[in-house]
Amino acid sequence: MKLRTGEYFIQEVFRSLRRNNWMSFASVGTVTVSLFVLGVFLLLVMNMNRLASMLESEVQISVYLEGGIKAEARRDLQQDIVNMQGIETVKFVSREEAKQRLSERLGDQKYLLDALGDKNPLPDSFEVTVVHPDMVGTAADAIARMDGVESAKYGQDVVRHLFDITRLIRIFGLVLMLLLAGATLFIISNTIRLTVFARRKEIAIMKYVGATDWFIRWPFLMEGMVLGFIGGLLAAVALRSFYAAMAAKIYSTLAFFPLLPQYPFMNYVTAVILLSGMVIGAIGSTISLKRFLKV
Amino acid sequence: MIHMRDVSKVYENGTVALDHVQVDIGKGEFVFIVGASGAGKSTFIKLLLREELPSGGSLIVNGRDVVHMERAEIPYLRRGLGVIFQDYRLLPDKTVFENVAFAMQVIEAPRRIMQRSVFSVLDVVGLRDKYDSFPSQLSGGEQQRVAIARAIVNNPAIVIADEPTGNLDPDTSWDIMDIFQRINKAGTTIVMATHDRNIVDTMKRRVIAIEDGRIVRDQARGGYGYEA
Repeated sequence: MKLRTGEYFIQEVFRSLRRNNWMSFASVGTVTVSLFVLGVFLLLVMNMNRLASMLESEVQISVYLEGGIKAEARRDLQQDIVNMQGIETVKFVSREEAKQRLSERLGDQKYLLDALGDKNPLPDSFEVTVVHPDMVGTAADAIARMDGVESAKYGQDVVRHLFDITRLIRIFGLVLMLLLAGATLFIISNTIRLTVFARRKEIAIMKYVGATDWFIRWPFLMEGMVLGFIGGLLAAVALRSFYAAMAAKIYSTLAFFPLLPQYPFMNYVTAVILLSGMVIGAIGSTISLKRFLKV
Repeated sequence: MIHMRDVSKVYENGTVALDHVQVDIGKGEFVFIVGASGAGKSTFIKLLLREELPSGGSLIVNGRDVVHMERAEIPYLRRGLGVIFQDYRLLPDKTVFENVAFAMQVIEAPRRIMQRSVFSVLDVVGLRDKYDSFPSQLSGGEQQRVAIARAIVNNPAIVIADEPTGNLDPDTSWDIMDIFQRINKAGTTIVMATHDRNIVDTMKRRVIAIEDGRIVRDQARGGYGYEA
């Protein structure tokens, strides 16, 4: 494409954005809303995935002991576990210590625990670490069957639930995205249709003097892409402040939650959003060109 | 320049617009196409521009096989043809200069020759001093002259005019015909469909008369004929 032609296309695009200002506004608005929703789901799913993979690589097994277990039986149990294959360390955590730890972890929300008064709902436990992460599952199963053991939990259990939740979010997000994408395509293709209509005389003349089909199509395609890009830009800006606000909120209340750091993560999300905007815009124009521009 | 062999055109609704037409138009000729409304003049012109495809026969325009042409080739056929319509078809929000330059712009002509070419064709039609006016500020004759400038700015081999004087009074029509004569003298082939008996009779050029889709007369130095 020649430079001169590029200039001409850009002029045409902005001329028609001005001419269809209300429709352009509506298009940008729907793109913004759709991509913002896409972005929110992206943030959710990415963070859930990260949480899951972090828990998955957790090699520690929490072995909860039955209430009222004798100190002697407990020591025997500890020895049995240490003697198992592939076990690295076994550390006893008393119920008092567990309560203390929980209270530290809750930080500002310690009052939740204070409400219990002197009662301690937590059991005694062992913290067992294994040599290789892939042995966690078998070790935990074996330990769970031992006498005096209430249950043996490790990251995998939580991970399985997390994956279920993530999958639900994905499906819900996908359905919502499809609906919004449909609405967006509809609005964009209508905007482009107005442009085609407003310029039908020009298009006829262009055909008579020998403009190629692509020369005629380009400005419309670019208009759709510009609409999508502007919508994407607004969505990205909104999403960035949304994530920053969420991050601040989470850090102050759920400090232990392993939130993805804003950078470079948000730059990646921004790129995805902008690209999606332009692709949606291009598809919207193409629909309109196919139906209304008989070149 | 134009070779029609056995060309027919039957529209989807069954109307036979052209019926086995044979025509050869050579380089530098000036040809009038005459006939009543609905006789097939418009179809004749549409075929030349590849707006319509012949139902049968062969058609060569400016060295290109119009019948077997790829879609992508159509623009290049049209770049060799300058078209003028009865209703001028100028863009109202562009100036005279911009309207003419538009034809160069959309075929991506080099920018450096654009200004020179536009002013040179505005000289040909005598509108250089109105280059900055908008179509609404011009008379009908002037608007048609802008349209002619636009048609010839890319140096077409053939100028095709469909009733170019149809909306103009006799004096103004003669201004337009003067311009066509000058363009023709410079070597451009001109094919003009018209109803204007006076012009055809006075110019004494080749006349092709179409009636019910057939060529009923092809005369080297003809007149409009007797029918009204």
